[in-house]
Formats: sequence, C-alpha cells, structure tokens
Amino acid sequence: MHRTALITGGSQGLGRTVADFLAAQGYGLLITARGADDLEAAARELRRYGGNVIALAGDVADPVHRERLAQAARDLGRLDILFNNASTLGATPLPPLAAYPLDELEQAFRVNVAAPIALVRAVLPLLEASGGLIVNISSDAAIGGYPGWGGYGLTKAALDLASLTLARELNGIGVVAVDPGDLRTRMHQAAFPGEDIADRPLPEVTLPFWAWLFGQPREAVTGRRYRAQADRWEVKAAAAALAEVTV
Amino acid sequence: MKRAELEFDRPRALQATGPPERRGLARDEVRLLVSSERGHEHARFRDLPRFLAPGTLLVVNTSATLPASLPARHPGLGPLLANVSTHYGDGLYLVEPRRSAAEPGPLPLEPGDTLDIGGVAVRLVAPHPGLPRLWFVRAESDLQRAMDRAGAPIRYGYLEAPYPPLADYQTLFARQPGSAEMPSAGRPFTARVVDALRAKGIGLAEVTLHTGVSSHEVEADAVEEQPLYAEPFAVPQRTADAVNAARREGRPVIAVGTTVVRALESAWDDGEIERVRPAAGFTRLMVHPGHPVRTVDGLITGLHDPLASHLALLYAVAPQDLVREGYAEAVREGYLWHEFGDSHLLLGGVKAQALHGETGGR
Repeated sequence: MHRTALITGGSQGLGRTVADFLAAQGYGLLITARGADDLEAAARELRRYGGNVIALAGDVADPVHRERLAQAARDLGRLDILFNNASTLGATPLPPLAAYPLDELEQAFRVNVAAPIALVRAVLPLLEASGGLIVNISSDAAIGGYPGWGGYGLTKAALDLASLTLARELNGIGVVAVDPGDLRTRMHQAAFPGEDIADRPLPEVTLPFWAWLFGQPREAVTGRRYRAQADRWEVKAAAAALAEVTV
Repeated sequence: MKRAELEFDRPRALQATGPPERRGLARDEVRLLVSSERGHEHARFRDLPRFLAPGTLLVVNTSATLPASLPARHPGLGPLLANVSTHYGDGLYLVEPRRSAAEPGPLPLEPGDTLDIGGVAVRLVAPHPGLPRLWFVRAESDLQRAMDRAGAPIRYGYLEAPYPPLADYQTLFARQPGSAEMPSAGRPFTARVVDALRAKGIGLAEVTLHTGVSSHEVEADAVEEQPLYAEPFAVPQRTADAVNAARREGRPVIAVGTTVVRALESAWDDGEIERVRPAAGFTRLMVHPGHPVRTVDGLITGLHDPLASHLALLYAVAPQDLVREGYAEAVREGYLWHEFGDSHLLLGGVKAQALHGETGGR
C-alpha cells in the first residue's frame, strides 16, 4: 500500500509545496483547505504525478469536516504523515494584544490549537499502525514576543507545547513542531498588507529540511522543535550519543 | 565578504592529475606548506609532527568515500552520469545528474521524470532550492547496492587515466562509508605519521561528516548568501570532551579538513557554558570571517581553487593576508592543487602560534 499524508491548508503556500514534494515521491494525499476551487485546482495538478489525491474542502475548525477527513483517511487504510499546516493569523491588521478582540482570539485558538489536536485524536490509530509522523507548523512568533503578533504567537506557543506533550504521551509515532521561517505566501502577505514581501523566499526553500525530516527515524526527532531554514537540523541528544553507529 | 576576495591566480598546470603514488611518492611524501605568523615553511607531510606541539589535539573525519558515480539513463536524454551526493534517509537521495564527468549540463529535467541509475529506477522529485543542478530523487531500491555493483569514485575532468580505484580515495581514518567525495585532508596520513604524532604526545579525536558532491564556484556576490546543501555530521561525546579539555587547558586543536571545522562548529554550544556538545544531524553551516571560529586553532587541508567557498572558511581560521601569502608561496613553489595534491598546515589561532613558537618547528 502506498504511503499517505494528510495535509491541511494543502492548496497553496507551504502546504502545497509539501504536497508536491510528497506526491512526486509516490505518496497518496488527502488534502484540505477552505476554498474549494483552489483546492480542486491543486488536486488536479498533484494527480499528474500519478498518485491518489483526495481533496475535501472545508474548515478544520469544524468537527463535522474533521470527521469527514478522518473517515477518508480510514477508507484509504493508511496514514503516515499528519501535516497540521492550516492556520489563521487571527485578527488583521494585527492588533496589539491588549486591544485584541477576544472572539477572534478564541477563534484563532480553535483553528490553530484545538483543530490540530482534534485531528491527531481522529487519526491516531492510523498513525500508530504506520509508526507515523505528526508535523505541527509553528512560527517564530511563538517565542518572539513581536508587537502585533501576540494573538497568533499565543496560538503557536500553545501548539509548540501541544507538540512536546504529545511527543511524550504517544509511543511509536513522532511529533515535531516546525517553524518554517518567513516565506513568500498569501498568509505572510496578509500579515504585511500593502508591503512588498518579494525578499522573502518561496516555500520551496524549505524542501531540504522536509527531505531530511521525513527520512529520520521517528524516535530520533520526536519532541523536537525545528527551524526549517536553519543551518543545521539535529537529532535528539540520545540519538546523537549513538551517532557513531547510526550516521 | 565579497566574492572577489576569493579570487587569485593559480596556473592550470599546478594540479595533481592522479595520486602521488603515481609520481613515485608515498602518501606522506606530498609537500606540506606550513603557514603561521612566523611565515611560510616548506616540508614534506611526514614532517608534520615537527610543526605541532605536544598536547595538540588533531581532529579527523572518519567518513569513507563511496563509489558514488553511476551510469544513468534518461528516457529522453539518453545516457548520463549520476553522482550521488547525499542519502537523506528512507530512499530519498540528493543526486547530481551530468552529461559526463567533464560536462555538467545543464540538463532539461522535470519533476516526475524517471531515471535509471546503475540499474535502479528513481523518480525526480524536486530540484534543490538555489542549486538547480542537484535533484532530490526517490529510489525504488537501495542506491548503496547499485554503487557497490556499478559505481566508481566521482572524478572531474582534470584527472588522467587510468583512473584511481576506490582504495586510493580512502584515508587512514575512513570507517563509515558515506562521502560522495574523499575527505582529502586526511589522505597524506600514514601509520608512521600517526605513530610519530602519538610519540610526541599529540592526540587524535574523531568526527564524521559525509561530504556531498563538490560545490561549484561561489556565484553570489556576498559569499555568505551562497546557497549550500546540507551534509550528515556527527560529533560523539568523547570528541566533544577531548576538544573541551584541550580548550580549557590552552592546548591547540587542529582540524584535519574543512569538514572537521564545519562539524565542530555545528556542535558548538554558545549557551551559558561555551563548549562543544555531542551532536548529530545535517548541517549546512557556512564558516566565513563573519562567523568566528571557536573550536579550532588551525587546519590541515589541501589547496583550494579560486572562488571555492572553502577559502572563506580558511579566512575564518587564519587571517586572510596569511592565507593569501601562503597561496602565493604555494604557486611560486609549484605546489599541486586538488584531492591528490599537496597539503597545507594553517596555524591561525594565538594558542597555536604561541606553542609553535615555544617548541620550535625544527
């Protein structure tokens, strides 16, 4: 059976880049995003690699949609990677935290924190069966304390802690948080309305990291937080101690 | 740092077209240029112990060279060569498809294309960002076995036939296969050199860094912006301990090869207690004068070509003027460049200077 990945926010930006990277390697894909037209267009292009691509449009914050995704994964019979990438910036333009509209903050937590955790729960048996990998997309805003980024940063800090906690609670699968770095994406543009973001690299710049991460034994990376654009990516200290035999 | 700072004139004839053994020399009889603030001295490699003080720690790379160059075929383009750069794990490799050893390309390749590499079917997945001559490929089965069966060491146009066998590419320290290209700084070491080093109280420690295919010339105007690909590395606990002890006690640490500098710098922890820590993973750290080198005081290396990114690393280990003077001297004295060529001991750090001065080189 072909290896399979579930990618949220899979129609554009980083999610789409990773979808291409996996489809070209023969992975089956289950992709989701809110915009049905963009998602269907992405699916058509991804199918050119010859693999199975299922596209289900919807909002990851919607429990009914999440159950449809989980059912589709169960129907495929296998899931190797859960790529929790869909997220919301929250209120835009980015308000200072003291002035943040609370309903928007709660909604950001539903999309960026509750939804990824709920998806983990929904597909956990499949990930356990495959010895799979959960990737939670984080941000430097999770630790930066940048003015204006408080709402989004809070949700990503919470997702970082969720990743670490899940890594310690779940056996036999890997859980990592990944800060992809600044990228030239629609979301990044939304954070900087009217600004020229052409100096930011395209999401393809992160491919070497994904090539590395997906090839690592899960136990060597689980619980770690990575920066995809960093100049080094290390396995856990315990794995490093055994490096002589494993490299 | 500007690209122009990596330029110098190196006459074309000054290159080793084969192993020194073909020229009637033992491995440790290649020439050794010793550059320090005392100036530039000329010796043979087997004289190395004379130039190092007791207590010095040499750090070597245990990576062994693979027969990473394989015949390949593309359905539309016909016969090609595929140089396997790096195994990322789980059947995913970074590969450089070429027309031939002498002609790199460019080749009109697309994601989804299939290639036969040494009898193994692979799919092209994506070009490496910023380095489009390198491709991520997914192999149907192990390319390691294809290399064992059909591979040869990667070579470039300057080598003369008959081409050296794989054994000529293995250093005395080679234990773990994984390098696409020989970590060549270790090649002149022989058992008698190591015995003489040990007898003088010079220690040896090991790291592993598997080299990828050699980088092309730096193209970016600002050297720091040159895209680099990542390479597997490991610094074990006992090497971290040995380097930290030497630093604490003021003993010089000398890297055998630019790979060792990159591995140790990649394992540097600049937290509350500055130290080298055990580390393993992939690194694409670029060492250049804007990145202070904290782990080594000197370097044993070959002679690097104009515009090679390694020159920026040399300038980070020793003052640029010293390196450039040394290269002028090497050209004047007819040293040989490339992986089978002559050797260069670059003593950059203050500690290395002091010890070298006290004990006397000769």
